Amino acid sequence: MHRLLVVLLLAAPAAMACELPGGEARKVQSAHYLVLYRTQPAPLKVGQHFAVEFAVCPAPESVRVDAWMPEHRHGMNYRPTVTATGEGRYRAEGLMLHMAGKWELIFEARAKDSVERVAQTIRLE
Amino acid sequence: MKRIGLLLLLVAAPALAATFTDEEARKIASHGPWPAPWSGDPSNRVSGNKNAIDLGERLFFERRLSVNGQISCSRCHLPERNWSDGLPRAVGLKEVDRNAPSVVNVRYHHWFGWDGAHDSLWAQSINPIFDARELGMSAASVAKFIRSDRDMACRYRKTFGAAPGTDDEKILVDTGKALAAFQETLVSGRTAFDDFRDALARGDKTAMAKYPEAAQRGLKLFVGKGACDTCHTGAAFTNGEFHDTGVSFFVRPGEVDPGRYGGIKKLLSDRMNLLGPYSDDPKRSTAIGTQHVSLEHRNFGEFKVPSLRNLESSMPYMHNGSLATLRDVVKHYSEISPDRLHSDGEQILKALHLTDAETADLVAFLETLSDGGGQYKRRPFPEDCR
Repeated sequence: MHRLLVVLLLAAPAAMACELPGGEARKVQSAHYLVLYRTQPAPLKVGQHFAVEFAVCPAPESVRVDAWMPEHRHGMNYRPTVTATGEGRYRAEGLMLHMAGKWELIFEARAKDSVERVAQTIRLE
Repeated sequence: MKRIGLLLLLVAAPALAATFTDEEARKIASHGPWPAPWSGDPSNRVSGNKNAIDLGERLFFERRLSVNGQISCSRCHLPERNWSDGLPRAVGLKEVDRNAPSVVNVRYHHWFGWDGAHDSLWAQSINPIFDARELGMSAASVAKFIRSDRDMACRYRKTFGAAPGTDDEKILVDTGKALAAFQETLVSGRTAFDDFRDALARGDKTAMAKYPEAAQRGLKLFVGKGACDTCHTGAAFTNGEFHDTGVSFFVRPGEVDPGRYGGIKKLLSDRMNLLGPYSDDPKRSTAIGTQHVSLEHRNFGEFKVPSLRNLESSMPYMHNGSLATLRDVVKHYSEISPDRLHSDGEQILKALHLTDAETADLVAFLETLSDGGGQYKRRPFPEDCR
């Protein structure tokens, strides 16, 4: 119970301060990070390039975005570029989910001695 | 009586039309509408231009665009063969290593050629002009032809707004852009599948019933057990990307075709790619794939997923033309061995183990993706250009 309270207290400030202006955003939570994101365009289509606008709270030292098809055990055919747009916000360009099925959109946050990944499942028909 | 009734049911069962779940209906709807919308190529300033289409059509059938004056693009891309040639491997001045892909519906693609070595239709159109095994020309010989032929020079001026100048490479690129403008007009017609797809979407059972029952069962396999729509997506039935499908990539003993691996390397070193000086799109809006494409070891032996539209008339199949019939293709996927795949741990394909009846149904469905041909009529070319 005590431990749960500590986690809640630690997570709360990040959640409260975390914003992604410009419209509705999805939330994904890892142990230490809260990620808010939206794709452009939305909804996603198979074989269509898209961008991801996202915020990571608290701001890590660096971030990476990738996507992975767990059942097929392969990733994308493209390597996205991520640009920091300020205040812990970023824009990733050049993503494409080239097959129908279940994908994981992965946000990777790097701090001094740690790498933490948070994944969001996306199903494309 | 009971036995006879059961027997009748068992005999009758395979002939029943398929029923579709909501998920299957959604998947089927995703293969339309047809024709799909298209908005022109911003990297080609003459895309959709009437004069460019006219010039491109002439160039496509122009034998003087080859080094020996004997062959043209239409040598390997014949209108009556769904813009392919019916041969396992195309033959220009010499035999090449791959099957001639159809150029119908090519405007919907984002990579061009079996290895995707080109990111625009105009750059792809230049490639066979240069290739010593295909048309065997050079920038200088193409430019000389365009400049010296009065009619061609006139049509070039009408298309590009200025007479062909002294820059040979620019004339070569413009030739590719006119060829692309023509090929962008080659779109296959509506098919029995399209009528069924639309009828299913609006719940019109009378119209749906006109679609052959075997094709309906094959379609159910296509979006279900076969999972063919994992890669053959959208209205053109292709995701436009690259996969290893277990087809041999040996060109001849001791020599391999690297497929997409070689294609990406060629693309990135090509100054005629969409990041180079010849794109007419200052925003480089269609270059995002070229900017971000990733060269991976697994690309070795990957080839482009072909469109399935008008498939029936573009045999033989696969990048090397090694499978003669649609039945052979279905059998290939039905019996594929994971040992034949060259992937780095990918698990995309597995043997479908289709019965003979399922194979026949899947073939019946694939045959309904053809428009019956005859969409293109070559018009007589008026000779004088002013």
